[in-house]
Amino acid sequence: MSKTNGKSSLDPITVEVIRNKLDGIANEMELTLVRSAFSTIVKEGLDASASIFTLEGETLAQAIAIPIHLVTLLPMVRHLLAEKPVSEMSEGDVFVMNDPYLGGTHLPDIAVIMPVFYEGQPIAISATMTHHQDVGGMAPGSTPTNATEIFQEGLRIPLLKLMDRGELNQTFMAILRRNVRIPEVVTGDLMAEISACSIGARRLKEVAATYGNNFLISVFDELLDRSETMTKEALRRIPDGTYSYTDYLDNDGVDLDCMVPITVTARITEGDIELDFEGSSPQVRGPFNCVPSGSLAAACFALRAVTDPDQLIPNNGGCFRPIALRLPPGSIVNPNEPAPVGCRTSTIKRVTSVVLGALRKAVPEQVPADPGGEEVILHFGGRRADGRGFVTSQILIGGSGAAKSRDGVDVIETDATNCMNIPAEALELEAPIRVHRASLAPDSGGAGERRGGLGAWLEYEILEGEMTITYRGERHFCRAAGSEAGEAGGAASAEIVRGDGSVHSIPSKEVARMLAGDRLIIRTAGGGGFGDPKKRPRNEVRADIENGKVTAKAAAEAYGFE
Amino acid sequence: MAGKTIPHEVDPILLEVIRNKLDGIADEMEMTLVRSAFSVIVKEALDASASLFTVAGEPLAQSVAIPAHLSMLVPMVATILRNYPVETMQEGDAYLMNDPYDGASHLPDVAVVMPVFVEGRPIALSAALTHHQDIGGMTPASVPTNATEIFQEGLRIPPLRLLRDGQFDETLIALLKQNVRLPDVFMGDLNAQIACCSIGARRLKDLAETYGGNLLSALFADLLDRSERMVRNAIAGLPDGTYRHELKMDNDGVELDRRLTIKVTVVIAGEEITFDFTGTSPQARGPINAVPAGALGAGFFAIKAITDSSIPNNGGCFRPLHFELPEGSLVNPREPAPVSCRSVTLKAIVGCVLGALREAAPDRVPADASGELMLVHFGGRDESGKPYISSQLLAGGSGAGRHRDGTDVIETDVTNCMNVPTEALEMSAPVRVHSLRLRTDSGGAGTQRGGLGCEQTIEMLSGEATMTYRGERHFWVSPGHAGGSSGAAAAGWIDRNDGRREEMPSKMVTQVRRGDRVTIRTAGGAGYGEPKARAAAAVSADIENGKISQDVAAAVYGRS
Amino acid sequence: MTSESQYDIGIDIGGTFTDLVCRRPGEPMLTTKIMSTRKNPNEAVMQAVRYMVENWQIAPEDVGHFLHGTTVATNAVLERKGARLGLLTTAGFKDVLEIGRQMRQALYGIILEPETPVFLAEGKYRKEIPERVGSQGEVVTLLDEEAVRVAVRELVEAGVQAVAVCYLFSFQNPAHEARTREIIAEEFPDLMVSVSSEVDPAFREYERTVVTAFDAYMKPVIDRYMEQIESGLAEAGIASPLQVMQSRGGLSISAVARKRPVRLFMSGPAAGVIGGTIVGKMAGAQDLITVDIGGTSCDIALVDGGRPVIRSEGRIDGYTVRVPMVDVNAIGSGGGSIAWLDAGGGLRVGPESAGADPGPAAYGKGGEKPTVTDASLVLGYLNPSFFAGGTVGLDVEKARAAVQEKVANPLGLGLEEAALGIHRVVNTQMVEGIRLVSIRQGLDPRRFSLVALGGGGPIHATALARELKINCVVIPRYPGVLSAAGLLAAPIEHEVSTAFPAPLDQLTLPKLREALSDLDRQCAALMAHEGVPADQVGITYFADMWYLGQSYHLEVQIYLDDPDPLARLYDDFLKVHDRVYGYASKAPAGIVNLRTIHATTAEETLGEGAYVAGEGSAVKGERTIRVASEPAGIVASVYDRSKMQVGLRFDGPAIVEQADTTTVIEPGWSGEVAPDGNLVLSWTKGAN
Repeated sequence: MSKTNGKSSLDPITVEVIRNKLDGIANEMELTLVRSAFSTIVKEGLDASASIFTLEGETLAQAIAIPIHLVTLLPMVRHLLAEKPVSEMSEGDVFVMNDPYLGGTHLPDIAVIMPVFYEGQPIAISATMTHHQDVGGMAPGSTPTNATEIFQEGLRIPLLKLMDRGELNQTFMAILRRNVRIPEVVTGDLMAEISACSIGARRLKEVAATYGNNFLISVFDELLDRSETMTKEALRRIPDGTYSYTDYLDNDGVDLDCMVPITVTARITEGDIELDFEGSSPQVRGPFNCVPSGSLAAACFALRAVTDPDQLIPNNGGCFRPIALRLPPGSIVNPNEPAPVGCRTSTIKRVTSVVLGALRKAVPEQVPADPGGEEVILHFGGRRADGRGFVTSQILIGGSGAAKSRDGVDVIETDATNCMNIPAEALELEAPIRVHRASLAPDSGGAGERRGGLGAWLEYEILEGEMTITYRGERHFCRAAGSEAGEAGGAASAEIVRGDGSVHSIPSKEVARMLAGDRLIIRTAGGGGFGDPKKRPRNEVRADIENGKVTAKAAAEAYGFE
Repeated sequence: MAGKTIPHEVDPILLEVIRNKLDGIADEMEMTLVRSAFSVIVKEALDASASLFTVAGEPLAQSVAIPAHLSMLVPMVATILRNYPVETMQEGDAYLMNDPYDGASHLPDVAVVMPVFVEGRPIALSAALTHHQDIGGMTPASVPTNATEIFQEGLRIPPLRLLRDGQFDETLIALLKQNVRLPDVFMGDLNAQIACCSIGARRLKDLAETYGGNLLSALFADLLDRSERMVRNAIAGLPDGTYRHELKMDNDGVELDRRLTIKVTVVIAGEEITFDFTGTSPQARGPINAVPAGALGAGFFAIKAITDSSIPNNGGCFRPLHFELPEGSLVNPREPAPVSCRSVTLKAIVGCVLGALREAAPDRVPADASGELMLVHFGGRDESGKPYISSQLLAGGSGAGRHRDGTDVIETDVTNCMNVPTEALEMSAPVRVHSLRLRTDSGGAGTQRGGLGCEQTIEMLSGEATMTYRGERHFWVSPGHAGGSSGAAAAGWIDRNDGRREEMPSKMVTQVRRGDRVTIRTAGGAGYGEPKARAAAAVSADIENGKISQDVAAAVYGRS
Repeated sequence: MTSESQYDIGIDIGGTFTDLVCRRPGEPMLTTKIMSTRKNPNEAVMQAVRYMVENWQIAPEDVGHFLHGTTVATNAVLERKGARLGLLTTAGFKDVLEIGRQMRQALYGIILEPETPVFLAEGKYRKEIPERVGSQGEVVTLLDEEAVRVAVRELVEAGVQAVAVCYLFSFQNPAHEARTREIIAEEFPDLMVSVSSEVDPAFREYERTVVTAFDAYMKPVIDRYMEQIESGLAEAGIASPLQVMQSRGGLSISAVARKRPVRLFMSGPAAGVIGGTIVGKMAGAQDLITVDIGGTSCDIALVDGGRPVIRSEGRIDGYTVRVPMVDVNAIGSGGGSIAWLDAGGGLRVGPESAGADPGPAAYGKGGEKPTVTDASLVLGYLNPSFFAGGTVGLDVEKARAAVQEKVANPLGLGLEEAALGIHRVVNTQMVEGIRLVSIRQGLDPRRFSLVALGGGGPIHATALARELKINCVVIPRYPGVLSAAGLLAAPIEHEVSTAFPAPLDQLTLPKLREALSDLDRQCAALMAHEGVPADQVGITYFADMWYLGQSYHLEVQIYLDDPDPLARLYDDFLKVHDRVYGYASKAPAGIVNLRTIHATTAEETLGEGAYVAGEGSAVKGERTIRVASEPAGIVASVYDRSKMQVGLRFDGPAIVEQADTTTVIEPGWSGEVAPDGNLVLSWTKGAN
């Protein structure tokens, strides 16, 4: 569909105005989504996103809370358009789905998609996706780390009409309510998605009213072409060539003793790039398989990060046109049904850092060392003494990798994910949990001329009854590599200290039962360092010691600091 | 014929004529249901049943291969009528549900209910219940013995309209297909259920054309009253009194070391009988909780078994029966307690009730049966990557009666499933069956010997499968009666291909791989009377036929 | 199959009577009944031959065909007179016969009875042989030949007279069973052997074991029986070979029949169904339901398009025996069925029967419980002085008293009302039974004609037909000897089948043709014994089919001459499935078994219009009867069957009396005597 960059007849100002309006609309949708959401993971974790597509299914604008969601809406919209031509849709129709093997990501991510009409003419598609708190399945939170089949991960929703000309699909709602643990919350968030889509639709109509259908649609094309052109130009600045990189996941949560390789080979030729994942692990038994939508998201993000760090290129489908992916069927980046996929976020993050790792070889100065690159997903589910049920979550991350220009940042979301952590206060309101500690983990940043960012150190206590916790970590066994003689970041760790003092260490992933009085202690991974630690300015080492980021002992050993 | 007006006094002959016709219709429905089913468990184990109901939700006629199904459709139909009042139903409708917390018994049992219209007026309901091979959830076949919440057991279907004007609700079908492991098999069985209900409806219409809808409805009411009268008579025939019994169950599949108790106090007073389960264990964390339908069926079964089995099955039979089912107990759990393996509990309940009634009718109640229906599921993919789920069901021995030996390897009480032939099993899954044998000495010794259990060994031939094993009577066997001994306990183990042996503690879900051998031993029935008093000829015959060993003959039967 | 001037002799041996019929083209059929000799049935055959020679002056050398239907096989089982049997099974599976399918018949039973035919071979007579064939027919464990020798020696030592062999998956690969048979022959040349891959090459080991064991169990009995009859015939100077009726309704030469005894279970009834088929055809009807009502039961069979409906398995003495046979279904309602009141005050009839002794109250043998026959008497259907041709006197008063006391009074009904009630209830049970039988085959009874057989059939015929909305009823001229008569018209037939598991989409036409021609070779070999010219033999092919995943199959005919036989086969399967189960989806289907049938064509009549009625008036009087439509009673004229001339027309209400039965013609029906002497009754009140 790519066009060559012919001079456009369109007035560049109007085009820019409309582009800004579109971004504004997407952001307003996102805001609606988050504000009207019920679940903590959305309200606090911002694990939701919104975007606008052309009728051909190309991204026009996207709210950028979590990059991982952006492109992942694309395959679902494409699936919809393939199944149901726009010509057969009518105003007031709304579609819903979540099935990874039909273009979804993992079951908790439910997409709501609405065609937008102006004067009876379809002009665009507004879509939202929310990570729901629970969609049933074998563990509260619906991302069991020990699932071996997608059937265990929750309710699979094929492409369905959620609303038919404004009429809510009662059959669907009845089944949904009956198959999730917290029906009020889930249906609440679903309604939030609908209202977000409606907002998008209303705003788009206004724009269409101002500029007229056909004009608007030609502007859409123009915008996509422009982004494509700019991306290609950016890519041309990367030296042509073939670059490979491999990194590992700790394990798949089921076969705990084998690490899972992810390998990419990037082939760059005059502004086009092919990412070939040949050599990556075959699909795994555990839920860490990543359907193509996820791999696509990761790759697109990584490229944007390198080609357009300052966000100059309008973020839309045009940016993705120069990218070709090769995802071996039956591999961890393109699994066959019914492989489980619930915890694929870890995989997406690793895919991102692997792509970055490969590009680092091409442009070492533009790409930092490997990040902590883990997003610990923690679910607490159970019943209070009075029998009331609860399911809540926490999202924890590590430090970023150091770059030539600067130290890594402590405890910060990197690459394909971008979720806020959940405040202790929010957590303690939701569930009978006490947070005893949320601090930086000394010495967890990889040593280097530029130090890697630090990981976090947390401690939770269960106050009441019993609960099931789902812990999903990474970097327990495979640390974030340093760059240019920098050292690897500190490994992650987690352990349960039972009321009786006995300690149970969690091997990267586990579904466990905790009782009142038990404590959960977690350390997230640090980012890799950049350059020889010995070359780090002494004053900075001293500052690190003073600020408790590096212990004196470590300073002596790693930085040769007297 | 008797004309189309309602007679003041219902004609007893016409009544019997209609009853015979209703039974004929139910049989015809059942035939369609079973023979056109797809899943092994229905085809080979007949785990399906068909019924006709009044528009008030009382069963009129039932054709059941499995007594446990007797009462199961009752609360399901009631729920559907509550959610879709009969006056809102149309011709061409059909309704669907499977949620135990809405009246069903466990998720694989899906009911289809269809209203029957005559001259635009609903006169009855036609219903079919099928145990589907898989309804999604944690393990293939959807009866995970380690579930702790119903959400893990599969897709929960609230009462919904499946058909309108004969057209499927596409949303419902799409969701069903997407959430079960074998969509083709599921739809095959669902279609069989619809065909079954349609046939029932068609036949009832013909009947109404002959006798008129009004007369028919009147006769329905009378049929129910008649069965009620018969049950009341039967109960009146039993000595009034209070009878107690208690028995244990191995465990709930999750907390493996915790035994559970079923306790019943049966009070017979004149024409009424009360089954009070106070003292029964609280609901279990594991999936063996039985929703009230279970106790209902067990109580009814016991009454029919020890009184008059010719009593026509219908709603009238349940009227004189009363139940005390403590909330939050094994026999009346609270949502979202798991229930998928409740049939082991149903058998325990009926065993317990019969035990209590043995005192009231010693000649008609034998010593305790093995009371076990061993169930094992294998689910995985064969070498070509095609998914398969296959099951085996094996019974133990029945209890000896005062006048005859127990029967070897026979289905007892509320279940009545066929075992799966070796040749069927090996053609449906990559396994090899190495044996199916009677267990020597497993029958409880006695003047009348308890029935033997059996032993089967199954080997995995390729790849890997998830195995769900659901046994019972591993850790607790009921004592024999009047001096007889108890039957042998059940046992099971896996010989891993690396030589390790793993015991199967009554219930478990595990992975089995190429070369692993699973051995299952079902329990024997209890004996009746002093072993020493057993006829010498019978003992020698038992030895010759390998039913008891020389040692046992000498040690227990005192054969010199 | 008759050649000029030669006689065809048909002999059917029943429990009480042995029926003899004799026919030569263009001559009236000769029939007679003689008492059966329970001890050694062949004695009756010899008596019959003597009777034929003496009373009919038929020279033995004039006998062209000697045709025989027998219940000897069934009796051998009922009386447990079969061979002491040994059973060889795959190691690990000797108890399959005893464990069976573990299901119980008595749903509410708690003190249970065994459900399997353990009497065939108790534990001590079952031996395990190390060997194993896998589900694809691959040999997993080689046959341990020494083990076979040892096992058989031990069994013979223990006194077995026959051996049955059933190994797992032998239907996929019969090699081990074949070799076992050889070894046994080497060890004990005279020992009789049945192997499952020959008796019933189809899956499910328990069912296959049972049928194979039954086969071996009866072999010596049948063998001895045929032996005796044949020698007897030789003595009598009858040269023509003995041919016996098989369960499917086709004749076979004894030499072949004795090798496949399980195929003789329904020999007698099958002949009756063939007889009924012919009678129906003579009345111009191709779709028939034959209803044979005796004292304790009612046997129902279906004829669809002129072909008796065949079932793939039957029940003998309560045990399922998987061998194709005419689909004769017994339900427990007959003339002797007792009427009783249940605790709920409901009127029930049967299944308990007064049988022949004491019999109905009217027999005056001390029976006090009212039976269906007693009700018939009260209702005026039966002539007390002409029951069974006057051989049995009926006591009307005893009948009335029984009905009055046991039914009428307790229910507060009038005597006749109660008697009528008994009939309405038993008729309903029969109607439901008939429905179930036909519906199971997916056939709508309304388009059928009803052929009434046995002493009781004609009494209930019009009432049953009414409820089933059947418009045509046929009463054969000789309802009593119809089985024997059926033998004369039956085809010679042989059937060979094999397991042939193949999904349709993977099956090629050449593969199918190859498999079928292989079957044809075997079948032709059997047919060769019959000495029938090849051009008189018709060949039909059938496939047992199912949807992949199902496990009950349906028989579908294969048309190799069709432009696209495989497509035709699939379409026909869909049609049959829709017929039988009420739906057919375009899901993938497959073949389970293949079958070829070689047969001569059955005849269309029992003898060309050779019926001659006696002299004198057919009407012998009139009496009042009560029927459902005329509860108050209505006057019916009474006819003497033997004097009813061909072409005689009459209207109901009417009664037709003859030596072996009484026909009740209810109002609304009219009758006519057909040229062949059969009575054809039709509903005159318009279509249903």
